[in-house]
Amino acid sequence: MSLLEVKQLTKRFGGLVAVNKMTFEINKGEIVGLIGPNGAGKTTVFNLISGIFPASEGNILLNGRELKRMPAHRRSLAGIGRTFQVVRPFEMTVLENVMVPALARNKSTKLARQKAEKVLEMMGLDQLSDSEPGNLTLAQRKRIEVARALATDPELLLLDEVLAGLNPTEVAENLPIIRQVRDSGVTIIFIEHLMDAMMSVSERVLVMDQGALISSGTPAEVTQDACVIKAYLGEEDPQC
Amino acid sequence: MITKKLYVIGAFVFLLLLLIPLFFESTFVLHMYTLIFFYTALTAAWNIPAFGGQLSLGHASFFGIGAYAGAILYVKYGVSPWIGIAAAGAFAMLGGMVLSLPLIRLKGPFFTLASIAFAEVLRMIAIDWRSLTNGSVGINIPFKPALMNLTFQSGKPFYYISLTLAVVVVYLTYRIRYSALGFHLRAAASDDEAAKALGVNTSLAHFVALMWSSAITGVLGLFYVFYIYVLEPQTIFSLDLFSLQPALNGIIGGMGTVWGPVIGAVLMTPLGEFLRFYLGTIQQGLNYVVYGLVLVATVRFIPGGIVSLLAPMMKRKSAEKAAKPAIEKEAR
Amino acid sequence: MDLYAQVLVSGLLLGGVYALISIGLNLIFGVVRIINFAHGEMVMLSMYLTFWLNYFFGLDPYLSALIVLPVMFAFGFLFQLFVVQPILSTSATMKIFTTVGISLLLQNLALIMWKGDFRSVQTSYSMSSIEVFEIIISVPRLVAFGAALASIIFLYCFLKYTYMGKALRAIVEDHSVARLMGVSVEKHYLFAFGLGTMFTALGGVLLVPFSSVFPTVGITYTLVAFVVVVLGGLGSMSGTFLAGLFIGVVESFGGTFVSPALKEAIYFAIFILVLLVRPQGLFGQGKGTEEVGLK
Repeated sequence: MSLLEVKQLTKRFGGLVAVNKMTFEINKGEIVGLIGPNGAGKTTVFNLISGIFPASEGNILLNGRELKRMPAHRRSLAGIGRTFQVVRPFEMTVLENVMVPALARNKSTKLARQKAEKVLEMMGLDQLSDSEPGNLTLAQRKRIEVARALATDPELLLLDEVLAGLNPTEVAENLPIIRQVRDSGVTIIFIEHLMDAMMSVSERVLVMDQGALISSGTPAEVTQDACVIKAYLGEEDPQC
Repeated sequence: MITKKLYVIGAFVFLLLLLIPLFFESTFVLHMYTLIFFYTALTAAWNIPAFGGQLSLGHASFFGIGAYAGAILYVKYGVSPWIGIAAAGAFAMLGGMVLSLPLIRLKGPFFTLASIAFAEVLRMIAIDWRSLTNGSVGINIPFKPALMNLTFQSGKPFYYISLTLAVVVVYLTYRIRYSALGFHLRAAASDDEAAKALGVNTSLAHFVALMWSSAITGVLGLFYVFYIYVLEPQTIFSLDLFSLQPALNGIIGGMGTVWGPVIGAVLMTPLGEFLRFYLGTIQQGLNYVVYGLVLVATVRFIPGGIVSLLAPMMKRKSAEKAAKPAIEKEAR
Repeated sequence: MDLYAQVLVSGLLLGGVYALISIGLNLIFGVVRIINFAHGEMVMLSMYLTFWLNYFFGLDPYLSALIVLPVMFAFGFLFQLFVVQPILSTSATMKIFTTVGISLLLQNLALIMWKGDFRSVQTSYSMSSIEVFEIIISVPRLVAFGAALASIIFLYCFLKYTYMGKALRAIVEDHSVARLMGVSVEKHYLFAFGLGTMFTALGGVLLVPFSSVFPTVGITYTLVAFVVVVLGGLGSMSGTFLAGLFIGVVESFGGTFVSPALKEAIYFAIFILVLLVRPQGLFGQGKGTEEVGLK
């Protein structure tokens, strides 16, 4: 059964169509990559699903429930977690950062602290609990971003370039996290520009170009797709 | 260790404050301390929405509403101010609700502006609605000393009342800051969108913060008017005294922190009184020129307020706190 | 019926001046993206300047614009250079406090230098009026409206047709892109602040023949300008103009039929109502509104 259904999703900014009639489904337990050239509208899709801004047209259903009129915080409570491409830690300690989502679900600071400690340990961040995120490396801050999203106990997690900007060693360190998260039973959609990483982790890939979905399938399938090659390399193909 | 030391120092200061009226008969000294306590409480109450980054320059509204509620009930209907406290808090909270309407859509400067306008409007209504408020003449609290009337022969009871208010309100803001609400507010102040994406209803958090703040401020207004006996719309809704002053104390001490308002009020109240009496008599307005300069300079040079200057000490404190659980873990 | 028409006309005439003051605010906001709480103090200063030029040199208020406008342009320019520029990258709170501090400073400097008295200029035409269709129109108000309208049209053309104006509009549209296109953004900030202040000052000058000046007069105009700008839509010039007229009319009707003392209460009610019903303003809003917290 599909966890997320997106139907004819469209977003216009003035005259610009950022997302154009996207339709796709995500099954429970899947790990799906969302790729496309810069400016294809990938982050906008995340923003629409997580409710950062409203869709111009179309429907978004989570477990068959319409999300369209739901504000961002209620979508989070309904089970949609997300990270931001540009990390956005709060000005508080790492532990407190991760306590925030827990406290949005349960008023007890004691329980929230326990929950946050558990998540931080899972993410290998327990040593940094009392640091200020501002003083940490980008790789560490990206982990905090994921930890915070995980502390929302999401059914569906939207990861926006959690590997971008990291050096190869850091990528190697952070990559297992994505698998680890999936192994904990969370359904994942993730945007990534590092193709190797993307292909090695995802079961299925959605390809976007200029706001529209142009291809989907297994990593092997989409790399063979003429339309995808055209989107990336600009080669002419009469079929596309 | 340092945390403990701070507690010991705090307890010592509190004891000292309890003893002061026994040694100082001077009404001036008592009055100054009472004012400091009032402003500490007022600034702490102002600071609750500021945890969430909302800057009010209209707290005189709630202060005034509470003061009027208490005074009208007492003078016109003979209701004891002790019962009036509930009304003062409730009506001020109602005012907070009205002001929170724009909060649904507004953040930052526009909320600040709405808060200024709100106090102005209330002042005008208080002047205009003569049948209820006595217009610009205001209301005098008759001098009938009795505990029930919240009126006393000496200044000492109010010294203790205001001290109690200050301690209770500061304690309340401490509790709020470290509660779920406090976390939500701090997250919202830091990054509203990210907070929402994590499930925090930031609008609700701002609203609840304003409810607490307005209710507390209303109660303070009631006590204040029974302390000074006179209630004039021009004074009680004054931008300078009860809107700007707590904000100034807050920013100078450290906005959005628990101790900032205390430090700000303790430093600024005597300074403010001094400036008002000395500079203000030399030249009307001179004291506010100094205020304006202090404000601009503080924002420019110590944007985190005085608390941020004490940060190195706090850092050590939190480092020790962090070390403690680690040791406990090892012990297990 | 006559009374209604009379009140409507007075309101529209006053609204023209409000529109002018608000357009100054909107221009500064649109380009520099700062909410200036000391905006009303610009009105206050230009009113005083006009008053003193008349007091000492017998200069006609309208003629004094030739001096007041350049002076206030320079004032705005320097204000941007020394006060706003250094705090542009700081938080909203810091910006609010700085401009509030400046507003407090200017108000009280005015109080020290010029005392708290209400001062006004009596000219030969202060009390004169003309009658059209049995409606009495005060001459200074008519002049104010005409001048306001003319300068708003001038500003509109300036923004539309000159290079400088186009650069300013580009900055309003997108700061970073404008910068990439070779527009020296900081330089234009200075100019925009000067220009905005100058238009605001003209509003002040035009008010002098029929309203008095005192140190705290600015608060009212700050409030009016903000209500107008929110109502008209941030960044929208035509919206600001129409909203200015609307607020003028509302004030006029409120003052006549409700109570002159409650005019600010009426503004506030409108302010809240607009935000609840149509937060983008009656006429839509421009870019950059999210940066200052209006969403």
